[in-house]
Amino acid sequence: MKIRHWLLATAGLGLILGALYLAKVSPLEAARTLFQGTLGSASAFSGTLRETSPLLIAGIAVFIALRAGLFNIGAEGQLVVGALTSAALGLRFPGPVGLILGMIGAAIVGALWALPAGLIKAYRGGHEVITTIMLNSVAVFVTNAIVAGPLRDTSQESPTTRMLSDQTRLPWLFKSPALEISSGVLLGLVLLIAFASWLKSYVSGYELRAVGANRRAATLAGIATKKTIVWSMTASGAVAGLAGGVQVMGYTGRFYSDFSPGFGFNALGVALLAGGSALAILPAAFFFGMLAKGSAALQILGVPKGTSFMVLGVLITVFAAVRYRKASMESAS
Amino acid sequence: MTWIWNLLIGMLAGAAPLALAAMGGLASERGGVINIALEGNMLIAAVSTALVAAATHNPWLGLAGGIFAATCLSWAHWLLTQRFLMDHIVSGMALNVFAMGAANFLSKQYTNPSAGELPVLNLNLYFTLAILLPFAAMLYLKHARGGLRLIAVGSDPAKSRQMGIFPDRVRFLGLSATGVCCGLSGALIVSNARYFTDNMTAGRGYIALAALILGSWRPIPALLACLVFGLFQVLQFQFQGSQLLGVAVPREVWFSLPYLITIVALAGFLGKSKVPSGLGRY
Repeated sequence: MKIRHWLLATAGLGLILGALYLAKVSPLEAARTLFQGTLGSASAFSGTLRETSPLLIAGIAVFIALRAGLFNIGAEGQLVVGALTSAALGLRFPGPVGLILGMIGAAIVGALWALPAGLIKAYRGGHEVITTIMLNSVAVFVTNAIVAGPLRDTSQESPTTRMLSDQTRLPWLFKSPALEISSGVLLGLVLLIAFASWLKSYVSGYELRAVGANRRAATLAGIATKKTIVWSMTASGAVAGLAGGVQVMGYTGRFYSDFSPGFGFNALGVALLAGGSALAILPAAFFFGMLAKGSAALQILGVPKGTSFMVLGVLITVFAAVRYRKASMESAS
Repeated sequence: MTWIWNLLIGMLAGAAPLALAAMGGLASERGGVINIALEGNMLIAAVSTALVAAATHNPWLGLAGGIFAATCLSWAHWLLTQRFLMDHIVSGMALNVFAMGAANFLSKQYTNPSAGELPVLNLNLYFTLAILLPFAAMLYLKHARGGLRLIAVGSDPAKSRQMGIFPDRVRFLGLSATGVCCGLSGALIVSNARYFTDNMTAGRGYIALAALILGSWRPIPALLACLVFGLFQVLQFQFQGSQLLGVAVPREVWFSLPYLITIVALAGFLGKSKVPSGLGRY
């Protein structure tokens, strides 16, 4: 780190401390509340894990695309359509069949939602960030329309689907009154390890990294760059969709309008924070999970919930400035 | 004929915040800085306008506060992309997230005026600016030294540097203009509602970006795209609850149209888009 990076980090920290000062909360008190509310008790820890699991899986999704040199800002939208798909399939086919169908469906629809972005990037040169931003908005509108229309549980005040039956949901790995661990967390861990080893030791994983590191060199080395871009974007979408499926079938048990409180954007932060190493996604996701859970506890102290987003913005800025720099020579083309 | 008049007024009202923000995007992207932070700029401007105007009971000070806040955020984008050489997308993303949080924080921390009590300027001021600004931008980019330099820097920063133009200085001015335009746009949005609510820009910064892309990074076509998007917004109110070809069309279909059209345009089905060739380069 150079001096200017320290300056940037200091400025970021100053902003956060300034916000806490304005909210009339001492930093020590805030830190203690954050710790108590996230790790202080078994139930707090359960809540942190609950926040971590979508961030872990969506973080893997963003990371896949990032290693191929693509920004999948669209994880948000892919997650939402995946979540709706799993809820719809789970309601249509109750029981374990619906559970499996729901998970597969979530991944497929998430992949399909990412496909246009990959195709446009590879064959038309349109920037994937713009495409996925547009697809995010469409995803929110489409899912809100469906949950307010055909899938709506009319007995409820706000637009939501019916609850999934217990057999259609992911089983608890561990459940006591205080501590609950969903098998969604395990699924995320398995996915992470599988993905990390694939990226490291398989030819296709190597090709993905090669395309991300230097597209021109990869083309000259004989890698089908365009195909790699399309499938890496699609794979990223599938994992993001799966994150939505896990969120519905593991935690919420239903889909409701404005489903995601920004999982996709947090996931981008997770992937950037993880930097070069796939396994670093886990601590990064846990850290962001703590932030999400802890902000609820801080709200009781009178710190507005927006503060956690300010922290998130500062974190992404500082980490990206230090670790994820590139003179993006080809990002516009 | 009154309904045509109403339609035009509604279209203009819908298009004005988009057009102002799109001109902000133009000032940044023609200079080669990718800017997805328009949304954050507008949001921070909206909350600052509301809070300053409510505190001072002076709408002009409110507008100044909004423009100042958006400009500061724009300067942060300049600092991060030009000095820290951070990826433009990541910087824009982080600033959007930060602005979303800061807007929520500020509106909770300070007295947010209750509905309808905010002192505001006459909206016609903003509408006039929204129509005039694209023409001014066109003339400026074509004929003024500053505009030509902006385009030069946005097309080939390395060559501009050889010609003695400093890309980062030109981009600083460009991003300052982005802040002013987005400030106006955010102030218009909050003046229209006369109070601030969370996330009140509702993705309009992204629609403005879409309009800019549809207009191939040229001011007048971008304005036209904004007007078309404004028209969708009016039609959505007109057709609400009614049926089209025997099917009830959810209003979300109308909301989605600008985004879908942009995706089709990005796919190259609406003619070749002329991306500034120095976008994101140093």
